[in-house]
Formats: sequence, C-alpha cells, structure tokens
Amino acid sequence: MKPFLVLMLSLLSVSAHAADLVKDVRARLVDAPLVRGQFEQKKTVQGFKKPLVSKGDFLLARDQGVLWNTRTPFASTLTLTRKSLSAQQATGGAAYHLDSTKEPALAAVNELLFALLSGDVAALQKRFKVEGELVGTAGWKLELTPTDAGLARVFKHIHLEGDGYVRQVQLDETRGDSSVITFEQLAQTPPPDAKEAERLGK
Amino acid sequence: MANKLAILWALVVLAVGVHQVQFWRSASLDTDVLALLPEDEQAPEVDAATRKLADEAGRQVVLLVGARDWPSAQKAADEATRVLSEASDLLEPAVVDTSALEQAVDFYRPYRDRLLTPAQRQWLSRATPEELGGTALMKLYQPAGARLTDWNADPLGLWQDWWQARAAETSARPRDGRMWLSGEEREWVLLMWKSKVSAFALGDGSRVTATVERARSQVEAAVPGGRLVAAGVPLYAEAAAAQASWEMSTIGFGSLAAVLLLVWLTFRSLRPIVLVGVSLTLGCAVALSVTALVFDRVHLLTLVFGSSLVGVAEDYGFHYFAARQGKAPSERGPVMRALLPGMALALVTSVVAYLALGVAPFPGLRQMAVFSAAGLTAAFLTVVCWFPSLDTGALPVTSFAERFSASITRWPRIASTPAWWISGAVLTVLVAVGIWKLEPRDDLRQLQGAPANLIADQRELGRLLGLPSPAQFFLVQGDSDDQVLAREAALKTKLDALVSEKVFAGYRAVSDWLPSEAQQREDAALSARAEAQAVAAVSESTGEAPTRAEFSPDPLTLKHFLSGPAAAAIRQQWLGTLGQAQYSVLMLRGLNDPKVLPRLEEVAQGLEGVRWVDKTAEISGLLSRYRRIMGGLIVAGYVAVLLTLVARFGRQAWRAWIPSVLGTLLTLAIFGWVGAPLQLFTVLGLVLLLGMGVDYGIFLLEHPGDGSAWLAVALAGVSTLLSFGLLGLSATPALRSFGLAMLLGEVTIWLLTPCFRLPPGKDTH
Repeated sequence: MKPFLVLMLSLLSVSAHAADLVKDVRARLVDAPLVRGQFEQKKTVQGFKKPLVSKGDFLLARDQGVLWNTRTPFASTLTLTRKSLSAQQATGGAAYHLDSTKEPALAAVNELLFALLSGDVAALQKRFKVEGELVGTAGWKLELTPTDAGLARVFKHIHLEGDGYVRQVQLDETRGDSSVITFEQLAQTPPPDAKEAERLGK
Repeated sequence: MANKLAILWALVVLAVGVHQVQFWRSASLDTDVLALLPEDEQAPEVDAATRKLADEAGRQVVLLVGARDWPSAQKAADEATRVLSEASDLLEPAVVDTSALEQAVDFYRPYRDRLLTPAQRQWLSRATPEELGGTALMKLYQPAGARLTDWNADPLGLWQDWWQARAAETSARPRDGRMWLSGEEREWVLLMWKSKVSAFALGDGSRVTATVERARSQVEAAVPGGRLVAAGVPLYAEAAAAQASWEMSTIGFGSLAAVLLLVWLTFRSLRPIVLVGVSLTLGCAVALSVTALVFDRVHLLTLVFGSSLVGVAEDYGFHYFAARQGKAPSERGPVMRALLPGMALALVTSVVAYLALGVAPFPGLRQMAVFSAAGLTAAFLTVVCWFPSLDTGALPVTSFAERFSASITRWPRIASTPAWWISGAVLTVLVAVGIWKLEPRDDLRQLQGAPANLIADQRELGRLLGLPSPAQFFLVQGDSDDQVLAREAALKTKLDALVSEKVFAGYRAVSDWLPSEAQQREDAALSARAEAQAVAAVSESTGEAPTRAEFSPDPLTLKHFLSGPAAAAIRQQWLGTLGQAQYSVLMLRGLNDPKVLPRLEEVAQGLEGVRWVDKTAEISGLLSRYRRIMGGLIVAGYVAVLLTLVARFGRQAWRAWIPSVLGTLLTLAIFGWVGAPLQLFTVLGLVLLLGMGVDYGIFLLEHPGDGSAWLAVALAGVSTLLSFGLLGLSATPALRSFGLAMLLGEVTIWLLTPCFRLPPGKDTH
C-alpha cells in the first residue's frame, strides 16, 4: 500500500461520490486535464513534538501522472506514473523505484487513480463512505471513511475541502499520525516542460 | 480327504466374507498417483519430502476466476463463490484473508531489526551517513507515510521492502479485499477452497468436480469472456475414481459376461455358469482381502487391473467342465485327479509370473502382483476343493462343444515342408526388423492418466500464479536447525545469480522467513548501526530527539517460528528430523524449461548438505532400470520354464514353450513396426505372457488328441483376450500399454499353440 497514491486518489475523489452531493461537488470543481500549484504539508508524527512542515510544488497531469517536488526543508522529488513510482533526493543520494509490473498492487492503485481521473464514480464509492456538505456559493467539505479493509488499515478518515479546486486535505492515519496539506496558487497552465514530460514518461 | 479340503476352504471363504464386509465399510481405497510411484531405496528423505509436499495440498482446490476487466472478474468471482457455497456440505472456503498478513506482521514486529533482504544488507553496509540520513528524512516527510510500524521502529522504511520480498513468492496481491492477479490478457481473482470430504471413497460420484463445473459454466454464462481455471488433488482423485470405476465395470463385467456366455454356449447348463461364477467371485474377494491385509490400503488401479483377473481365473473351471462333459457324474473325482497336474503346473507358472511383477519397487505393481496371485490361487482352490462335490448332475456334450472340440483336427500343424520353412524365414525377417525398429521410452507421463483438461488447467494455474514445482527441488541437510538454515543461505546466494539471469523465476525457502541465528545477529547489528546514524541525522535536521525503538534481545527461533502465524505458508518445506539429521526443502518457481535443469544440478555441487532432487528424472531412470531388469528376468524366466517343461514332458517340451517365445517376439516386433515405444509396462505384460501363454501348451501336451482340452484352451483364450483387450481401453497409459502387449501376445500364442501340438499317436508320457 503506497499511501501517497491514496492521498492523490483522495484528492481527486471529490469528483466521484454519493448521489446529489457528488453531483453538486462535481459541478463546483473545475474539470481540468492539468493542475499545478504550491503545497504546504504539516505532518504530526509520534516521537516528534512539533509538526514537521514541508513545502513545495506539484503537477497533476490527467492520463499521465503526478509529480511532487518538496523544496524545503530539503529537496526531493516523487514521480508517479502508470508504470512506476519513484523517489529521489536532489543530492542524488537516496532513491527508490518501484515498477508496477513487478509490484502489481501499484498497478492497481494507478489504475484506480486513472479511473478516477476519468470520473469513475463507482470505483471510489466502493472504497469510501462519502459524507459532506456544500459551503457558501462555491465551496464544499467532504469526509471520506474507508470501507475497504486495506485502506482502513492505513486511514481512519480523510477530510477534503475546496471550491473549484481541492484546497485542503487532512489525512488521519490509523496509527495516530496525521497530515494536513494545503494547496495554493492553483492553475491549469503551463503544460509540462521537457524535464517534467521526461519524468512523466517513465 | 476331498471333503476335509472342501470344509477347510469353506472356512477360509467365510473369514474372507467377514473381512470383505469390514473392508467395504471402511473403504480404504487409494487414488493417489504418488502411492503408485516407486519408493527410492537409497533416499528415504527424498520420499518423505515428496510425500510431505503432496500431503499438504491433499484437500485444496485452487481456483482462478478471470475476465477481461477487473469489475467483470469480481463479478465472475462472486458467481463462482455463490455456486461453490451452495455445496457447503462438500466445500469450505480456505481463508486467504488479509488479516493473516496483519497477524504475521505483528508476529515479526519484535524481530524487525534482524530481518533484511540481501539488497538491504548490501545497501546498509555501504551507505554513507548522509545517504542514510537523507533517506530517513525523505521517508519521514513523504506525504502521509503509512507504515507497517511506527517511525522510530523503522526510520529507514526497510520493513515494507522485506515484506514485499516475501510477497514476491506469489503473484497474487490484495485488491478490494480479494486476491488479485493479472496475466494472459485477463484480470483474475484467486479463490482457495478446501474439500471437506475425502475424495477417496468409491461410488460417491465426482461431487467436487461437479460443483466446480457448475461454477465454471455459471461464470461463463454470467460474465462475457469469463473463465475459471481450477486445480487440486480432490479433482484429480475424483477423476481417477470415476475413471477407475468405469474401467472396473467395463473390464470386470465385460469379461464376466463374455465368460458366462461362453460357458452357456458350450454347456447349455446352469450349473457350470453358477460354479464358474462362484470361483471367479471367490477369486476376486480373496484377492481383495489378501491385498488389503498385506498393504493396508488398496489402490484403485489395482482394482482396475484386478478386473482383468476374471479373464484368467476362469481357466480352471473351464478345464474341469470341458473334461467332465459327457462323462458320468461318478467320474468327477478321477477327472479332477487327471486334470490336477496340468492345472497345478499352469497355476504355478502364472503365479510366479504375477509375483515377478512385484520385483520392481513400485508399490502399485506389488499390489497388482499380490492381488492377481491370490485371486488365481483362490479360483484354483475353489475349483479343486468344491467342484467335484457341488457338480452332481449329468452334463451332456453339446453340439457346440462337439463341433469346437473337433475343430482341432483341422488346425494346421507345423511340419518340415517348404511352405512352413518359407513362412518361418519370412516371419524371422519381419520379427528381426520389427525388433530392430523398437524404441525404448521411459517417460514418467505413462504413469499419469489424468484427463487432459485437468492437466491444462494445472499448467495455466502454475503459469499465472508462479507456483513452485513439486518435482524438482533442493533438499538441504544439516546437523542442527541452524546449520540447515545457514546452508540454505549459501545455496540461495548461488541461486540468486541464476535468478538474475532469468534461468528461473525464484525460490521459496524456510530461511527467507527465518534466517539463521548468525544471520539474524549480523543483520541486527547492521540495522542498529545504520538506523542510529539515520536517527541522528533526523535529530539534527528537526531539532528534536527521537529515539530508535527497542527490539527483542533474543533471536527468532525455529520453535517459535513454527508455532507462529507466518509459518503456515512454508511449514511443509521444513521436514524436521529424519534419522540423524535435519532437513528442509528449497522449492523453485517458474521452472519451465527442462533444459536448465543441468545448471541447477551444478549449483548443488560443492555445497555441503545440499542435494538436487529431480523426481521426474529419477522416476524415469528407475523405469528404465527396471525395464532392463525385467527384460533380463523374461529371458531367465523362459529358460526356467523350459527346464520345468522338460522335467515333465521330456523331448516334447519345446512344443509348449515355442509358442510363448514366438508370441513374445512377435508382440515386440509389432510394437516396433507400429512405432509404439517399449516401456516398463510393455515388458511387464510380456512377463505375464510368459506365465500364462505356456498354460495352453501344457494343457494340449497333457491331454494330446483330447478335444476337451482344446475346448478349454479355446474358451480360456477367448476370455483372456477379452479381459486384456478391454484393459487396452484403460485411460492410464501404463495399463493400456500393458493390456495391448498382453492382447497381442495372447492372440499370437493362442493361434500358434495348436500348430505345435503333438502329431497323432505320439505321447509325452
């Protein structure tokens, strides 16, 4: 189980859930083939008194994958495509690469992610109980509770907030750790540059 | 005297009757093909390994349900599960549940620090402190890092990789609460079920198979492109049982009906039918009881083979009634006494031939040998002890019997004429060329009679799931548990090189789940050092003071491991103590190409306590060895038979001997001409031929010019032909080959024997 994928999946999951709420939230979301922006993540981990804060930017390209670049407190990159998941430190030191042909579970999550991108409502509702409300004229809040045993082992709840875009994700893990990620400066341009395209092509 | 014998035999029969009731109540029948396989005299531990690997899977039914996409596959799996659940008295789901993984993770948690993959070992011993610190930070800051354990218990995130390496032993992965895999253009759900009933009871129908077939057709009907692939010992056992009971009824009842019809045609009287029927029934019952007493269990194929006994055991009854026909009831005793020497000689040669089958160390063959020898003896005793007392009325000569008896006078008889010499020469050439063309083949496949669809399913399942091969493995031996584990590790290092060359896919070893104590100590020290550096780097970067978690001070022991939840998957590979030493089995996955086997054999060389086992090659070798031994035995047998015949018939002995020799050679030549391979079971057919073919010659020599002897021989020949001819229909290649050899041999011997009869006026005595 690669939690990051689950996170991304949850990010996108707003496009697919129960009945009216699902319809309404989908109506408020921008249907974009590409989203990029900045993120800030505050992670509470057992054994650490203060939250661990990291910042960076990301690119989400429907049909291709996700790039997640942490800039502070140190630089590292994470690349998720249909075929693989890889992580690298900017210094070139520690790295890992998972191949979905060798690790089929990864392919399963990828497949699900991409199914979500194309608006497959049924897939998400199989894994989460979706509750929530609309906020004001443009906003919404959702709470996702996993119904799938595998996911429930990782997450207690996932909270999502947004308007035309997802603005905040809060992940409460079953083990007690939690993360709040907020997104800013969201945009649908520019398209991936050569370097990004190369990473997404892996 | 005769009455005393009759009473004695009646007591024996009574005892057999009691035993039969018990036997059929408990029905300890074997359908397992392994039970037929030879015991390896030199390596009992190899046998123990093979049997343990096979036993473990005894009741399991593994199913893969697939469709073109995942939702359809899930639907197909639901359909299959629904159908299988309907048979709840028969099948129960064997849990492949994800909570088992959780339990296993909890079990290993205290030992996390001493469990490293080879790649991790390499990386940890060469990584710089910066690299270690960087990795720890990266994993710490990774979005929502769900972990198998708390951060401080695994700061470098090693645990997940170790589990991934364990999971690589199968291609199935959890997905949506099911076990999923993808391959051959389909998405599949893995289902595991267990049979609740033993498939070894006869006459219970193929109920597991029927349920699986219902599930298959339901899947195919409900889901477009849906497929179900199933394998498991219960399916094989049921197929074998169904096949065997069909063959038993075909061969058994077929030859019984033929025998009784012949008796009716010849004697037109109910008494011979009843009495011959009694001798056959008793023959079979005694055979079964003796086999059950000697071997404890009786194999289904023994019964199939035993069904052909009917075709041989009736000979004695035929001889008696053929000789007795047309004589006054008061002559019964003298008739029997006159027949006794020939019948006893015939019995001895047949029994010796049957018992010779048991020379080969195949438990299945030994059973067949004992079964047939006991059956023949019982039929013989029934005829000798009971027939004169029970056969009281008159038995007139029928016109059928008369005409048939007379036919011997018109049968050609060899003589020193040019026509006979020329036929002899032509025959010699044909036989020589045929035998020269004969090719031996000692293939294990001749032991398998499983239906093709089962074998195809099994192969597909093996390909998709990457199941380990049960026929080729490494046997690792050591003086202690720990030495076995350490030797496994040494073997694995050599195997890893072949895995990276893609010679085969991978292996399954106990030491993957339980490293040796030395390895555990080494790994604990290595991870302690690296993780201390990682934690220090994280402390420095975050300004906090996290501490690394504590782990168990003691290593994970074999005893503890075996009692834990993780051992279930691998337990059958730990053989434990056999004799003086400890043993384990290392299994190989994805071994598809027989050409790579020599390379694996090489791996074991130079490694102490490691032995390469190739059951397929071993059994083929054994089949070949015994084919040659039995071949030699036939030659020796013919010499011995000739000596026996000479002792009784003097210079005319060759007349009873030559037909069998010619029949054997002609059979071999025909096999050669049609391209049928020479295998152990062909040779075994010829061994039996030696014992039975000579009978006809003996009777014709014992009673020269006697039409009734010819009548009996003819009846015996026809019924024997029928029973072995029907054995030629068996779905088990070995029995088929055996039956065909017998069929061809019997026909030629039967046709040739009268040609060698004594000229009129000559006598052997």
